[in-house]
Amino acid sequence: MTAVLPARPATTPGEVPELLLEVAAVAHAADGVRALTLRHPDGAPLPGYAPGSHVVLTCGDRRNAYSLTGEGAPGEAYRISVLLRPDGRGGSAFVHGLAVGDRLAVSWPRSAFAPVATARHHVLVAGGIGITPMLSHARAAVRWGRSFELVYGHRPGAGAHREEVAAVCGERLTVHESTPGMLDAVAAVLADRPIGTHVYVCGPAPLIDFVERTAEELGWPAERVHAERFSADLDPGEPFTAHLSRSGVRVPVPPGVSLLAALEGAGVAVPSTCRQGVCGECRVAVVSGRPLHRDLYLSEAERSAGDAVMCCVSRSLDDHLGLDL
Amino acid sequence: MTTTLPPRVARFPFPFPAETYRYATNVEPARRPVRTAGGTWGEHVVDVDDDYALDIALRRAVLAADPTRCAQLPHMRVAAWDALTTLLPELAAIRPDVVALHRRGDRWQWRNDLLGTSSSFVLGDDDSVPGGPLAFLGSQVQEDVVLLDQREGSLWADAGLVTFAADWSLGFDVGMRFQEVHGPVPRVHESGVVARAEQFLMRLQPGDAYRRTNWTMTVDRRLDTSTETYPDWGRDRRLVVDDPALPDRLHLRVEVQHLLRLGVSNAVCFLIRTHLLSLRELATVPEWRRRTAAVLSELPDDMAAYKGIERYRHAAASWLAGG
Amino acid sequence: MDPVGRTVSVLGFGDPGRAIVHDWAAATPAGRLTWCVVAERADDATLTALAAQVRTARVGWRLMLAGPEVDVLAARAVATGLGLLDAEIRTAVTGADHKRVSCPHCRVITEAEVPVGAEVPCRGCARRLHVYAHVSRRTGAYLGFMADAEEIA
Repeated sequence: MTAVLPARPATTPGEVPELLLEVAAVAHAADGVRALTLRHPDGAPLPGYAPGSHVVLTCGDRRNAYSLTGEGAPGEAYRISVLLRPDGRGGSAFVHGLAVGDRLAVSWPRSAFAPVATARHHVLVAGGIGITPMLSHARAAVRWGRSFELVYGHRPGAGAHREEVAAVCGERLTVHESTPGMLDAVAAVLADRPIGTHVYVCGPAPLIDFVERTAEELGWPAERVHAERFSADLDPGEPFTAHLSRSGVRVPVPPGVSLLAALEGAGVAVPSTCRQGVCGECRVAVVSGRPLHRDLYLSEAERSAGDAVMCCVSRSLDDHLGLDL
Repeated sequence: MTTTLPPRVARFPFPFPAETYRYATNVEPARRPVRTAGGTWGEHVVDVDDDYALDIALRRAVLAADPTRCAQLPHMRVAAWDALTTLLPELAAIRPDVVALHRRGDRWQWRNDLLGTSSSFVLGDDDSVPGGPLAFLGSQVQEDVVLLDQREGSLWADAGLVTFAADWSLGFDVGMRFQEVHGPVPRVHESGVVARAEQFLMRLQPGDAYRRTNWTMTVDRRLDTSTETYPDWGRDRRLVVDDPALPDRLHLRVEVQHLLRLGVSNAVCFLIRTHLLSLRELATVPEWRRRTAAVLSELPDDMAAYKGIERYRHAAASWLAGG
Repeated sequence: MDPVGRTVSVLGFGDPGRAIVHDWAAATPAGRLTWCVVAERADDATLTALAAQVRTARVGWRLMLAGPEVDVLAARAVATGLGLLDAEIRTAVTGADHKRVSCPHCRVITEAEVPVGAEVPCRGCARRLHVYAHVSRRTGAYLGFMADAEEIA
């Protein structure tokens, strides 16, 4: 078979190119978790991706980001696992409604949670559905011979991909079905790993906070700690007013309404794609006030510079935020 | 213009958009043909021209004499495989008439009719490909390759195969941060060009492909002007000034640099393709002749010194201007 | 450097390094200092001992290096080569007169008292090398290239 991978279509800078994919299989991965396999309708190979990458699915009128769970080799089908969130914004319900043969628009993979190539050892920490990027990390680590271990915590009987994870990881896996047991295990790992180790965590916000806090207390520099947050956990935030420096317009941003939505409501067009703080599209320059960064896109340096904000999720620490719009 | 120019002229990536030149973050999306006063360039990320077999043979000879032109820190193994398995399909897609790729699982078969060679290797098995994946890639494409790892908020030049360097040394620079690699370049740090370029590169997403050009000048059609061989070619910078053959010996050297985010490894792949055009060839396109003369005359001394062209740039400008 | 290390090792070179090492050791909370050494130079024995420290260290460890630049660069190269991050290393350079200069033409490294911009004869190929403001973190050496390559016949 001749397998020539498609060159990514030329797009304007910042634009995310899309693939039209077909649902090839639907499986039950755990209670409330649906695993989808996506292929190109004509069998064309799909682009490879780094472990921890996500794709943005167009779910009706919403766009949601989901982690890919595969190894990432060029040509393999894309797999995602989606937890139904009855109180969510409808993206997960849309995915749960998909059947084999349905077609949907899927972005090219985007990488924001890749393993660090120089690491001597990788500690993967997964809570609940946070297992999805870690499954990708573990598969690729096996493929390329990287040293790793996976600490997986989930509710009793509710672990997505349990058998698959066990088969991939073997003795490198420890599973915890109680929160205290999970946190103790994570703390013990963080207390005693060789220099050169990096830790990666994905799961509910309290687990991520625990890992980041414990790592810091144990002297881990931030460069060794990598987190993938579920953006669904964002709180509604405090009200503030956006001052548009070019037009002089003032746009109030109430709690529960994103800065992006408020700008759009005021007739100000801002390019956006994922609306979850991952794609980088809706970056707006800040001219005054201190942004409250809640995105996954800006680097630490860019955050502390304070001169840009991802307006789809981030807000303001001050009552007023001046924007270059 | 209806006269037919030789391919080397018609395909030349003329680098000057204006009558003066300064460093800028001059990146643009790749894979878009550029019309110039002499023809067209820029349709593909890798390119095959009439010098293909010659360039590949030269690279093999340079590497045989100095293996440090191919350098790879141990953690760049995945990136090296990623570069190979990304760029061979690129080449196969643009030149199906002369190369063929067949893949079955991890076994790749590659036939190259331009070189009369056939190879097969197993993805991820370093011993299955002679010299490793990066060396094999360098035996198939005319481009030099540098692979940048991304970590700790920086890019790191941690692997590469560079046999056609314009006055730098991969063997010395390998392992440096992006900003350190560009340490000696005048004017680029205070203007923020390097920092901006690095930020841009760190935001590249899988499948993104951008390009830029850079330029200098070289005496004769010498591709290997590395720091390593400077004792061999340095004197020509002086000798060419009074040589009546200056318009034939002195070449505008243009690098077409492509910047790709590799999907599997998350590394940034930096491809450098070097084009040489003598002043006499350049002058066959009147707009190029006029503009190059203007740029060379006006270029500030520190930039001319860094590019190593200060001895002969006014002689070159004068010839181009018709003096 | 992030100062919040669980454990700290300190390595100094020569008399200038010794004074800084003493200050650092005094400022380190009790029980956190796991290794404190002052060596004359970053010679093979010292770098081997440092490598053993890095290999057995656990995350949370910090390394502090003080002394002449040539020694600090060599020690830092060993530590980062074994996986330590810049964020885990604190350095204090007491002088930069002495340098290791790498010759790209013959690949031999020459040690000499030489400022950037000056020349030094290569002990490998005898060419006069112009010492360039370009330092390799991997080898801790400056780049030197043939000073008169454009003048020779």
